[in-house]
Parts: sequence; C-alpha cells; structure tokens
Amino acid sequence: MNNLTKMTRLEVVVPARDAPAIRELITSAGATGFTSVSGVSGIGHHGQHSGALLFNEYDTLTMLITVLPPDKASDLIDAVRELLGTSSGVMFVADTYVSRPDYFQ
Amino acid sequence: MSLILRAHVAAAAQSVVPSWPLESFIAVNPLAGHESEHFESAAAGDALLTRRRDAYLSDRARGRITDADLDAAILERIPELAGRLKIGGATVPTVSIARLDMTSAEWGLSARTGRVSPWLDDYLAAWVASYLNPDPLWPMPYRQQGFYRAWRTLARRDPSLPRRARQKLKDLPLAPDVALAWALGELGVVAESIRATLREELGYLPGWVGHIKWRAEKIGDIDLISYLAVRFVLRALPGIAPAPATKGLPGAENPTATIWRRAEVVTSLITGSSPRREETAAVARILAGHPIADHPFTWQKAYELHYRSTLLRRLNSTDPVSERPRWQVVMCIDPRSEGMRRHLEQRPAVETFGFAGFFGIPVRFARYAARGAINSLPALLTARHQITERPTTSVVAHKRVVRGRALDALRQAAHAADSSAATPFAFAETTGWFYGVASILRTFAPALQARLHRTLIPPAATLASTVTVTGAFTLDERATMAETAVRMMGISEFAPLVVLAGHSSESANNLYQSALDCGACGGNPGAANARAAAAIFNDPDVRAHLTARGIDIPTDSFFVAADHNTVSDVVTLLDGHLIPDSHVEAVEQFDELQHAAADQLVRERAGDLPGASPRQVPSRVRRRAHDWAEVYPELGLAGNAAMIIGPRQLSRGVDLGRRVFLHSYETQLDPDATALESIMTAPLVVAQWINHQYYFSALNPTTLGAGTKTIHNAIGTIGVLAGHGGDLRRGLPWQSVGTGTTLFHEPMRLSVIIQAPLDRIGAIVSRNQVLRNLLDNDWITLTARNDSHGSWHRYTPYGFKATPTTMEGP
Repeated sequence: MNNLTKMTRLEVVVPARDAPAIRELITSAGATGFTSVSGVSGIGHHGQHSGALLFNEYDTLTMLITVLPPDKASDLIDAVRELLGTSSGVMFVADTYVSRPDYFQ
Repeated sequence: MSLILRAHVAAAAQSVVPSWPLESFIAVNPLAGHESEHFESAAAGDALLTRRRDAYLSDRARGRITDADLDAAILERIPELAGRLKIGGATVPTVSIARLDMTSAEWGLSARTGRVSPWLDDYLAAWVASYLNPDPLWPMPYRQQGFYRAWRTLARRDPSLPRRARQKLKDLPLAPDVALAWALGELGVVAESIRATLREELGYLPGWVGHIKWRAEKIGDIDLISYLAVRFVLRALPGIAPAPATKGLPGAENPTATIWRRAEVVTSLITGSSPRREETAAVARILAGHPIADHPFTWQKAYELHYRSTLLRRLNSTDPVSERPRWQVVMCIDPRSEGMRRHLEQRPAVETFGFAGFFGIPVRFARYAARGAINSLPALLTARHQITERPTTSVVAHKRVVRGRALDALRQAAHAADSSAATPFAFAETTGWFYGVASILRTFAPALQARLHRTLIPPAATLASTVTVTGAFTLDERATMAETAVRMMGISEFAPLVVLAGHSSESANNLYQSALDCGACGGNPGAANARAAAAIFNDPDVRAHLTARGIDIPTDSFFVAADHNTVSDVVTLLDGHLIPDSHVEAVEQFDELQHAAADQLVRERAGDLPGASPRQVPSRVRRRAHDWAEVYPELGLAGNAAMIIGPRQLSRGVDLGRRVFLHSYETQLDPDATALESIMTAPLVVAQWINHQYYFSALNPTTLGAGTKTIHNAIGTIGVLAGHGGDLRRGLPWQSVGTGTTLFHEPMRLSVIIQAPLDRIGAIVSRNQVLRNLLDNDWITLTARNDSHGSWHRYTPYGFKATPTTMEGP
C-alpha cells in the first residue's frame, strides 16, 4: 500500500491510576514510543466517563496508543489482556501502516 | 524479559495503595484499591471495617445511638422491614423486631494481625531501608545497579544467609524479572496461580510495598518487580514455599447464635413469656433478612445517621449579608478553618468562604535561592508550573543568602562531625556545653527558645518579596484561574479587603508535621498559593479580563495573602510591603479582630487537647508548637465527619465543632455546573481520602495506622519504623486519633451535604466513576436539597429519596 509498512496499533483506555503499568508494559515490549491522551470521555461497560476534570487527573481515563512491528505486538497484547483481566479498561488492536518503519523497530 | 510476568505483577499490585513519603504526607484511603467494591465486602485481610459491639452498645447507653437511629439504619438497609407483625396479641413494627435482635444477639469481630513471615520480613525490610535511605551514614555499594542486582552482588557476602544459598546467588539471572520467573519455577508455582501468589506475597510488609509502588511511579529507582525478585529468590533458595492464598475475611462471628435461638430471644422480649413456635417462626423469617454478619454495618450506619440527622437539623438558612462586608476571608475547606471562621464571623462585617487551600493555583514552589522545592498542589494533580520569589531589595536578599549558606555549612559540618565514627567524642567535648544549654532552654522554656531562634535566624518567609506568578502562567491562564476560583467559591460581591488565608502547622520534633499542614497543598503550608492567588486577583490586567467575563472586582478591593497557623490559630498577613496606604487601616483592624478570634478559638480547642484546659492562658497552649516533648501539638483533622458544599448561610452561626469540611458554592454563579463538578471531583475526593485515613487509622491503629509516635524512628524523610526495624508504618499515628486507650476521633464515613439542584448533582455523579464508586458502594453518603427552601434528599443508586431529619438526638 503506497510503499507503506504494515504495523500493529494498540489503543488501550484505562483509569489514569493504571496507566503507569500499561506504559511500563509498552516500553518493556520494545515499543519505541507511545502517545498518551489524558481525560478521555465516553461510555463503556462501567458506565459514563466525563472527560478531563479541572483539578483531578487521577480519576479520569487515559488512552495510550502505540505502534510496533507485528512480531513484537503479540507478547504485548497478551500482557495487556492479562492486566485488563483484573481491572476496568479496553484494548483495541488493529493493523496500521507507517511510512517510516525504522522509527518503530 | 517476560512481559506476561510483568503484567502479573502489575495486576497483583492493583489493590496496593501508593504510600507517599513522610515529607509530603498525603492522607489516603488505605483500602482505596477496593473502592470499586461495596464497602462491606472490602475487607483487605487484616482490616476491621467497624467498631466492636461493646462500643456501639456503650454509645446506645449514653444516647449517642438511639432506637430511632437503629430503626432508620435497618430500614435504609432493608426497606422490606417497614411493615408490622402481630405477635403475642399485639401488633409491632417489623423493624423493632430486627432492632431487638441487634441489641440482644452477640457477635464479635476477628481480624488477623497482619501477614508476617518473621525472618524474611525483617531481612527484606533491612535491605529495602538500606537501599532507599536518602541520608545513609554508609551508602549502599552497587546501588546504581538497582535493588535486585545490588542485593544479588552484596548478599554473596551476607553471613546471615546460609553458605549454600550464598553460593547459588552468583548463578542467578541478572535481570530481576528473569530472576523472579526462575524463583517461581523453582517453587513450583503454576501459571494459573502466579497472580494469586504474587498478590499474597505483596500482602507482607504492606508499608514498604506501598512506598515502592509510589516510588516506582514518581522516582523510578526501585519497582515491585525488583522487590518481588529478591523476595521470591529468598523463598526459593532456602526452600520456603510461598504462603497459601488468603481465605476468609474478617467479619461478625457468632457460630452458636442460630437464627432460631435469636428469634426465641426476641419473641420472649416482646411477649414477656415463653414464645410459641409459630410466633418464633414468624420472627425468624424476619431476622433471616438481617443476618448477624450485617449487624456491625447496621450499627455503624446508625452511629453515622445520628450524627448526620443532628447536623442537618442544626443547619439553617440565615439571610445573606445584605450590606457590603468590610472584610472577606477565604480559608481552606479543612475542618480546622471552621473554628476560625465561626469566631471571625462574630463581627457582622466579616464574611467568610471555604475553598480548597491551594486556591486553584497548582504550582511547584521554591523559596528565593532555595535548594529544594515543594509540590504545593493536590496529590490528584501533576505539577506543571514552577514559581519562586523575587526579593524587593537585592541587598537584604544577598545578605540572607550568605547567612543562610553559612548556617547550612555549619549544620552540615556539625552533622558530619556528629555522625562520623572518628569524631563524636571530640565533638561532644567541644560543643557539649552549647548543646547542653540549648537543650535545657528547649526543655524548660520552649517558647523563649523559639523566640531566640527566630531573632537570631529570621525565617525565610520574612524576606520581602513577590511570587513570580506572571512568569509561570499567561495572562489568560491567570484570568481563567481567577474566574474559576470566584465561581467555585460563589463570591458575588467583593469587600474592600479580601484575605486569602492558607494554613500551616508548627511543631517541634514531630515526624508527622506534614500531616498537619494543608492536604490540598500536598501536605505543605498553603502560604505560597495564597500569595500567588492574591497577586493574580490584584493584577489590573486580570481584573480587566474578569470584567469581560462578567465578574467585576471593584477598584477599592484589595486581596491580601495570609497564613493561618493551626497550632496558635494566629492569622498572619503576608507580603505587608504590598499593602497600599488606602488599606492599611482595614488591615490593622482585621489584625485586631483575628487576634481576638484566635484567642477564643485556642481556648475552645484547649477543651479537647489532651493535657490542656480552657482555663489556661492561650500562650500556654500555643507553647506546644515549640515543645519537643509534646505529642499533641494540635489534633489536626481528628473528628472530621462531614463536608458541606453550599452557601455559608447554611451554617453561619452554627458551631460545627471543627468537624466539617466547608466548601462555599452558589448555584446562580455556576450556570453550567462546571464549578460543582470540579468541587465534587476534587475537594470532595481529597476530603474523602482524609476521612478514610482517619477512619481506618482509628479502627486499625497498629495495621492501617502508624501506632504510637513514642517509638517511631525516621528513615530519612521516607517514613517511620516502630523501633529499629520492620515494616514502614502506614497511616496516622495513634496520637492523631486517640489518647491512652481511648479514641477521640469518632470513625464515621464522610457525610457529604450539598445545596444545589438535585438533577445537576445526579448528572455529575452519573458521569464520574470515582463518585459512582464512592456513593453506590457506600464509602460515603450524600444528602442534598435543591435550595434553602427544599427538603433534604438522600442519594441512592436509584435516585434521590426524601430523608427525614426529625430523629431525636442530643
């Protein structure tokens, strides 16, 4: 596809207090980076979640996005699934394409 | 590197509550990891959730819990008991049958004393303490390699380990997660039970484990994988199997009281004779809905209902101040402010407000030319803006810095000479006379010693300066912070002098000093935030922006920062050099009236302080701030039980006994309810953390509380140990909640009372999981009314329900 390279994208939405553990798994999996969006709003299995709160970053939701080669993604997916087994949160996994694969190796 | 094992560790640690270091003591709910569960099922192994039966019976005997409270508590839990039953020729309310059962059926509470593995805990605690001690006499070698690797290298020479174990150490993996995986394999832990095994092991040394979790996120020099690697390797080397997973929870126990026996007792009490079988059977059917295991929680609810209904009855609706007040004082929501506000308001020209003590200005603050800085903001936020001081006179500032550095060098030299193995005797010989005199003075005349100290070494706070708030925030940010503060506080008219009073505590030889400072400022004094807020409100550019946003601050209104000392109760006005001549008289008059209020409040507080008396002169009570033998410099937030969010007219003139967090709020100044949402998701949450810290420290003083202060030893600024080793202590010391063997803190879950439209409150709760967890799971309660003419309603997961407030009480 337009000389793009196939990668795997993970999006994980968790309570902000659980985000450090997810970040640690992402970096341990060898991902070269991630994007963190705090104050995510929406409705899910546990009900409604307001977005960013003015004076509370601790009780909001955070979305972590990372892209990594498919061969590295498998272990990370298993690990995140294991962690989400005991807490609230969701994980979305999708194929994605990047123009500069060396950034993600 | 095993990612799945890292996930297992993270999952096992999810219910571990991070423990802040002592230097910035943050009150937390020690069971916060269970807030997504119902309060009554959240027992974390060794925690008591209620008091014991005899305590409740004693309260009933003295009228602290009435029959009406018990009936209301039973009906709140089991609405089906609202009917009546014909028994012994009479018709009795069903609820009274359940009440009779509560007062006659016996139960006891059992709680484990905490998980202990004596040798392993002591060994590991000593290594963790050595590794983390920020000021060791002998720095730990190989520390830079991380905890596991440093231990792996050094333990090979540790004679307390068996020779065979030491020999194996050199063959262990270098990476902590690989070593952990190896140890679990050696111990035969199968994949399905890894998480439970890790969770069980994290239950040992809960103080150190909580601090390591905090440290992993905030500092990063140790993590739970390294800790668990050492722990499991130690278990694997000597061949000690991991402890089995916890079974059973503490709760009411009475194996002999069958429901039939309970029913017989209750029926006899009602009929006054031997019960007939069919009557006993009818009573037994009722009691089946209220098992013995529920009794402690019903007692606790009745205990809280009594306080709440008494409080609601006392709240009134005084008319708002019609004339423009001469002084407005904004104080922290901390319950200690309530006393000062009440005494200041004895002058009708004074109006007071409650607001989070960081005044909506989240900053990291460093004094002028200081080495360190403090995070002066709630623990719920991350510091992103740094402010410092800019002296008004550079010559004076330079002299202060030179003198400060000289003193610092002297202190370091004395510390080095005192600590070195070679010099302590010579040091004592040469300086002993000086320290001896100082000690005598400090022991027998602490107030004089403090005055001398202040004269010789003026505190840094006395340097005339301004805070660099314009450098930290843009004009638009400052205007937004000011607008937010005004809307959250509900100020519609500004007095000529507006005092923004942060608060701080003052005590000597007190490792828990930080627990007495401002919780909204991260366990630090709130003066820096008050100064920043005053600077913002006095800025003409900010005022112009506020005018455009519909908030008009008159040109004759001046904001001045202040510090409320919660030991002396003196309110010291700050940045006096900034006060314009036009306001000097108003400031002087305020100073007079705050002194009178402070004296009244100190006398009032003396009635509660152990060893003090209202008959004592205030200076004698204030001396506690400098007495290095005093374990009760003040009582902090002991007694906290409720939070009121609403206009001051609700509570003005009512003595709330310094037990209530007071946050001002006016619905009409908050058209889109954003201010109310900010209050309910931040100050309310902080108040709940504090409330549960006191609650569980009172109920579990040796496991979730820190035990008695008198045997505490500090590990740098990290925390305290009881004695010379063992676990890092969690929670508040016994002296924060009790004296002798008696509690002076009444453990009650926070009763939140709000005056605002119920539909707004309901919508806010619905969209915030933190509030849903706390309210739906019974960790706190919420009672609200639409306005001053409305009736009170109790929040339930199914909507608001009208609540009576007519129960009798003292």
